Amino acid sequence: MSTTALEATAPGAGRIEVRPRRVTSGKTISNLVLLGFGVLFAAPLLWLLFASVDSHAGATLQWPHFTLSNFSGAASSQNMQALLNSFYISLIATIISTVPAALAAYVFSRHHIPFKGPLLLFILMLAGVPVTIMIVPVYQEFTQLNYLSLVPAAIFLGVTSLPFEIWIIKNFIDAVPADLEEAARLERAKTHHVLMRVVVPVALPGIAAAAIFGFINAWGNFLIPLVLMPDPSQAPSPVALFGYFGGNGIHYGEVAAYSIIYSVPIVILYLTMSRLFAGGFAQSGAIRG
Amino acid sequence: MSAVADTGTVARGRLDLKRTAPTTNRLDRQRFHWGSVPLLAPAAVLLVVLFLAPVAYSFYLGLTNLELIGPTSRHYQFTGIDNINYLIHDVVFHQSLYLTAFFVIGSGVIGAAGIGLALALAMQKALNSARLLVGAIVMVCFMLPPITAAILWYAASTSGGSLPTLFGTSSSDFLHSAPMVVVSAANAWSVTGLAMILFAAALRNIPGEIIEAAELENSNGVQRFVRITLPLLKPTIVTTILLITLLSLANFTLVYLMTGGGPGNATMILPVYSYQQSFTFSHLAYGALVGNVMVIIATIFSALFVYFSRERRQRED
Repeated sequence: MSTTALEATAPGAGRIEVRPRRVTSGKTISNLVLLGFGVLFAAPLLWLLFASVDSHAGATLQWPHFTLSNFSGAASSQNMQALLNSFYISLIATIISTVPAALAAYVFSRHHIPFKGPLLLFILMLAGVPVTIMIVPVYQEFTQLNYLSLVPAAIFLGVTSLPFEIWIIKNFIDAVPADLEEAARLERAKTHHVLMRVVVPVALPGIAAAAIFGFINAWGNFLIPLVLMPDPSQAPSPVALFGYFGGNGIHYGEVAAYSIIYSVPIVILYLTMSRLFAGGFAQSGAIRG
Repeated sequence: MSAVADTGTVARGRLDLKRTAPTTNRLDRQRFHWGSVPLLAPAAVLLVVLFLAPVAYSFYLGLTNLELIGPTSRHYQFTGIDNINYLIHDVVFHQSLYLTAFFVIGSGVIGAAGIGLALALAMQKALNSARLLVGAIVMVCFMLPPITAAILWYAASTSGGSLPTLFGTSSSDFLHSAPMVVVSAANAWSVTGLAMILFAAALRNIPGEIIEAAELENSNGVQRFVRITLPLLKPTIVTTILLITLLSLANFTLVYLMTGGGPGNATMILPVYSYQQSFTFSHLAYGALVGNVMVIIATIFSALFVYFSRERRQRED
């Protein structure tokens, strides 16, 4: 690897000309560090890919004896039902969190309300408190009300995403000039018309990003369904995956295949969300439950 | 241009004076609209009923003798500080606090934030292709749901897994011989992506002129890093570490699937201990109390995060 090759392919070649020649050793080290960590981070992912198509899959990373039987095994009716349950839970949680978050975010962005600053900081603080860990009081509440099933659990999951979604949407509405709304108001548009015809369309990327955050949060949660949904027919995918680890002899090929089926939609949603944020993930500061 | 604008406001001001003569209702000041209330109500109701009320309820439940099953599952009563007394002398709780600190500091602060910073720095100078490839790999590790990360690392470290095989002792189970190291590595692996992307964004915001000026002064790489890059990154480092602390603190799924808190109590971090006390040993009240300790810790870190991120934003403005 010659240094000229490095410089030729590097971006912003104009800036490099100014720099002294000795930084090239730094560049070699940088590339090596990056690739070294890349291998470490990639190895478990590689196991997942290989084991999912390996008829002799074990816990060790090995070259697969190619088969698709793991995927057909993982696509059992029980597992597909679990995937569907995950989808229902996430959908309910998304709606329950995003609609109220969008309404509240609009008020926080545009209206004058008392104690707005402290309230917003309090909401941001709530976003950092992992309330899902504090499952006991919710379990006790839901037991007394006889609510231990899918829909109430999904609503609770939605509420855990609510504080952060308010912030995501508020930041998007803040960036939209208020002129549009004022123009609509001058035309004597009703508040709900201003919201639906003016605010929602321009804030849509923010609302979509918040909705995706809520969906991912609910899709990935394992503790809430484990405790709040005792009926096995309602169990979502994380609980189904956990079930593989109960007895002796784990069917690694099938676990890997089902993990992929379960995880790929989330990776796609994350990529969609990063598109919605102009500056990438940095602004989203995504928090998982 | 400005003159026109000025006369405009003056004209409008006169108009306002005419309309609302000597009242205190100044039109240039925003006022509270009752229309805000119905828009805020859904979020407020949900947050109070399913977020704040459970937190308050949990602080009460922690001071009762509530059990999951048996007579006190229905007719439980307030027992004052009995549970707190037990908590203070509970050896497993002490161990759990220590393990949680080890987990958060070791895997979150040193592991994820340290590796994330190293990756972000290396990315600045690396080849475009290497940067995109490694960046994508590390981000996928972050995006995977917690249960998937747990499965990958369980397979890698159990007997016959990749890690024991790599170290030449394929029959040994790393989840028994070094459980805390394995779960910490797994947590670091899954949250490094967030640290990396936050640091990479902050590094991009450092103006190139500052570095170039330092180069003209014949500074070496270490000096530039310690005297320029690090101080400029400090606000981001603080908020990133707090964010990762909160993420690691809540990582129940990873540890529960990989070890269940064992062997013995070797990986019994607070969330797993709270779950075990509540739903395995059916001491709901005591589990709630352990959960309360965790919520207090998380609230402190979250408040610090709010404080420092606000300070950072004000400095950037």
